[in-house]
Amino acid sequence: MIAMVGYNFEEELLKVGVETALKAGADEAIAKLIDQKKHQIRFSNSSIDVNKEWSSYYLDVLFTKKSRFSLTGKINTLTVQDPDVKRVKKNVPKHVDLLKHLPKNKLYWGMDDGSYTSYRSLDIYDDKIEDFHEKAPELVKKTIDSSLQNGADGVSGVIHSESSKIGVLTSYGNGGIYRSSFCRGTVRAFNGRDSSGQDIVVTRELSNIDKKFERAGRKAGILAKKGVGSKEGRAGTYDLIMTPTVAANIFGNLLNGTNPIMMVSGMSPLKGKMNEKIGPEELTVTEDPLIQEGLNSRPFDDEGTPSKKTCLIKDGELNSLIHNTSTAKLWKFLGMLKLKLFRRPKTTSNSNLTQLGLTGTEENPRTLMPIPSNYRFNTGSYSLDEFISTSSRPTIYLTSNWYTRFTNMSEGEFSTVPRDAMFLVENGEIKKPIRNLRLKGNLLEILKNIEGIGKDPKQVRWWEVKTPTFIPHIKVKDCKFTKAKGQ
Amino acid sequence: MDGKTLADHAVDYGESLGAEYVEARFVNSKNENYFARNGDFLSIQEKSSRGLGIRVLVDGCVGFGSVDVLTKDEVKNRVESISKMAKLSKRETPIEFSEEKTVQDTWKVPVNIPFKDISKEEKQDYVKRLDEGIKRSGSKRFSIRNKIKNRILFLHTNSKDKYIVNSDGSNIRSDESFISLFTILNAKVKDSSEQRMLGLGACSGWEWLKEENIHDFVVSESKKLVSTVEKSRSVNINEDIDVVVGPEVSGIMAHENVGHPSESDRIIGREEAQAGGSFYDEFLDIDDQDPLDLKQSEIKLGSDDVSVIDDPTINRSPGFYLYDEECVKARSRYLIKNGQLNELFLNREFASVFGTHSNGAARSSSYSREPIPRMSNTFFEPGDHTKEELVEDIDKGLLIESFTEWNIDDRRYHSKYVGLEAYLIKNGRVKDQMIKRPALELTTPALLNSIEGVSKDYEYRMNFCGKSDPMQPVSVSTGGPYLRIRDVRLG
Repeated sequence: MIAMVGYNFEEELLKVGVETALKAGADEAIAKLIDQKKHQIRFSNSSIDVNKEWSSYYLDVLFTKKSRFSLTGKINTLTVQDPDVKRVKKNVPKHVDLLKHLPKNKLYWGMDDGSYTSYRSLDIYDDKIEDFHEKAPELVKKTIDSSLQNGADGVSGVIHSESSKIGVLTSYGNGGIYRSSFCRGTVRAFNGRDSSGQDIVVTRELSNIDKKFERAGRKAGILAKKGVGSKEGRAGTYDLIMTPTVAANIFGNLLNGTNPIMMVSGMSPLKGKMNEKIGPEELTVTEDPLIQEGLNSRPFDDEGTPSKKTCLIKDGELNSLIHNTSTAKLWKFLGMLKLKLFRRPKTTSNSNLTQLGLTGTEENPRTLMPIPSNYRFNTGSYSLDEFISTSSRPTIYLTSNWYTRFTNMSEGEFSTVPRDAMFLVENGEIKKPIRNLRLKGNLLEILKNIEGIGKDPKQVRWWEVKTPTFIPHIKVKDCKFTKAKGQ
Repeated sequence: MDGKTLADHAVDYGESLGAEYVEARFVNSKNENYFARNGDFLSIQEKSSRGLGIRVLVDGCVGFGSVDVLTKDEVKNRVESISKMAKLSKRETPIEFSEEKTVQDTWKVPVNIPFKDISKEEKQDYVKRLDEGIKRSGSKRFSIRNKIKNRILFLHTNSKDKYIVNSDGSNIRSDESFISLFTILNAKVKDSSEQRMLGLGACSGWEWLKEENIHDFVVSESKKLVSTVEKSRSVNINEDIDVVVGPEVSGIMAHENVGHPSESDRIIGREEAQAGGSFYDEFLDIDDQDPLDLKQSEIKLGSDDVSVIDDPTINRSPGFYLYDEECVKARSRYLIKNGQLNELFLNREFASVFGTHSNGAARSSSYSREPIPRMSNTFFEPGDHTKEELVEDIDKGLLIESFTEWNIDDRRYHSKYVGLEAYLIKNGRVKDQMIKRPALELTTPALLNSIEGVSKDYEYRMNFCGKSDPMQPVSVSTGGPYLRIRDVRLG
């Protein structure tokens, strides 16, 4: 029944979850087991502030009831903490029974009923994760030293590591059990009050992790030093060179609009743009859960659908949305209503039993919806130096940003605030560090105005970027910068 | 084993291992979510969760961890591992927690109608009726065309019991209840559209919806959104004008321009790699100044009309609590009084840095998050004007009742607020003419020094404030009175 065996106890829990739900009257069910350990060290002022450890062990069970007279069905979920067979058998039937109090879920059109005998094997677990947290304080020290030696007078940051065992089983017999692990970190270096630089580390590969963090510390320190003596920036229109960190935040906000849930919620500027040219010919973006280094990579999604790559933007054209089975069926139905019979979207293997809520994470109920795994931008031909040296018009080189907010998400109108080192580029060279500007624009216009794509991709995942994104430096023309009034 | 016994065990065991301080928090929580789009439910979910968060101070270093497998062995393992990890931190400057009064007490959110007494069908019915009301507000009678194209409603209820105990001998039990309604509305007329995100909420039971007449308020806001799309026009105003901002806008200003920079952990730098720092670090001297009484330092941040309060003790407010998450009694705080910096947000760690006591500002969003300095209900202190009085001497200006886009730099100095429902003021009267998306882009001192006149009317809004890593969204009030801001240039 389970494709990837090897952990008998977990296998039995998954089976009990699904079978108990079916026995209690559910038509379909998914059981997902999470056994996770997370560690995090936060540091500031060049010292460790707190060393944290979390463990979670729970079984999510989703169960559905199909409708005789409708294409949609009812759906409910239950989380069993510290699950054992007895607890699962006791709690699941009560919650299946609750389905009769619920209305049909207009977003539930069924789950993947295919039959998959095998999944792509992914090397996404590094057993060095087991004792990584014990070595992490020393890694923090090396990172801080590297930053201090390269121009910082104070260093802050975070190193976060996770190790998970995840099991999924659906009532169609799909799923399996796999392990994954990763480490990510942020290093923010300061030189005085007005100058800072940031770099990040995002990796599953723990070999040479010291070198990765030392390099990040060094880069952050150098940026902090280069930013010293910054001058007040002047509002106006500039070309913009974005680091991967900035580009992942800004373009990630647009790509999140490929989620049908965002689209039906009026939160996507991409509505009605399918097969339209939205970016330059050179731009291709994929959604790919099979990238070995991708932090959200997995062999299958939460419906047991084998992971596959989806091309979201192809040669500048909006090519696909992300889907699970339900949204694909819904989109197909909506297409039929509009007589667009050639549109037959299928699941893109993005189904996720995800938390939906506004408060603390553990407390949020789960539901099934499409969630992106990893975004990947194609690479171009420019190095950062070439971007700078070929800038003939006034250009701003932005290394980091935060607080991106929208006037209207359906239009894509936004502004975002540069943080850390920012430079004015004139006549092909960095003229001076500048500060205190705000980037204002429209996501669709910024995408259209891409002038060059770098050849140096990097995986970005940090406080301001939630979906791991492989993206190089990107240059955009004609970007508007504003400035707050007052001293 | 029950949560209280496990929490007590965590503290006893941590002490036996030699920790200087141990604290444990058991939280048993139940959430219900009703998520609807245009009257159809996309998700109705409930979830119960239980867990224990443990914090230790060992050799001047902090370890924090949580467990959701609630057994004595699991708790013991977690105390051991976080104590070991704390030791590995090897700080040169040891962290200390301020001395605080030992307390044993209980408190609860007053609730008349517990959420469990309302059936799922009644909760669904409320959301559906509200959606119907919004829908009607966006269409003419007998017309099938609706100007509010997208109506997202998110009703959330949370009830939890919590037990916090520490090695100083304090323990607090609380019985909490929270309800919120978050709406995202998209109105479209021809090619013009506007989006409204509105948060409302309270520490209350189900009765809040009726007592505050939430249904009618949201419907009236949706009507205003339609008017905004239909009537707003872009105008270029290239001169300094007076701007009156309403409760929703003054609330977000109090939160972003005053509340966040007043958080002591930011000032010291602990949030620098995440939610950022504070421009207060330019003039605060941790060795010489008392963050509980900064008035002596005469740090002028705004006009005499500016007083900003944070008060967690306001009954039913979104940020209501009577003891913080470190067992310190909650109290009201003047962050700015008559334009002068007055007090900061302190938890025990940063009270110790400043050599003083906590003012009860430690909050955490979940058992799995550490307590850090947070806002609760932050607002400009109401003045003695009416809204009409604030407007009557303005020859040319704007009234901004609500906002859409906003942001601020990570030192909380350069802010931007884009108006949504905004009206022209001419010759002392608010005109019907609506102004499209006026932007106030001001530094914090420029904003606070330009405030001249505060209304006595007050309204509150609810929002979730984000901070820390992992993210800790906590419910806060972001309302306040009307403010008159003099001589500012729109962006």
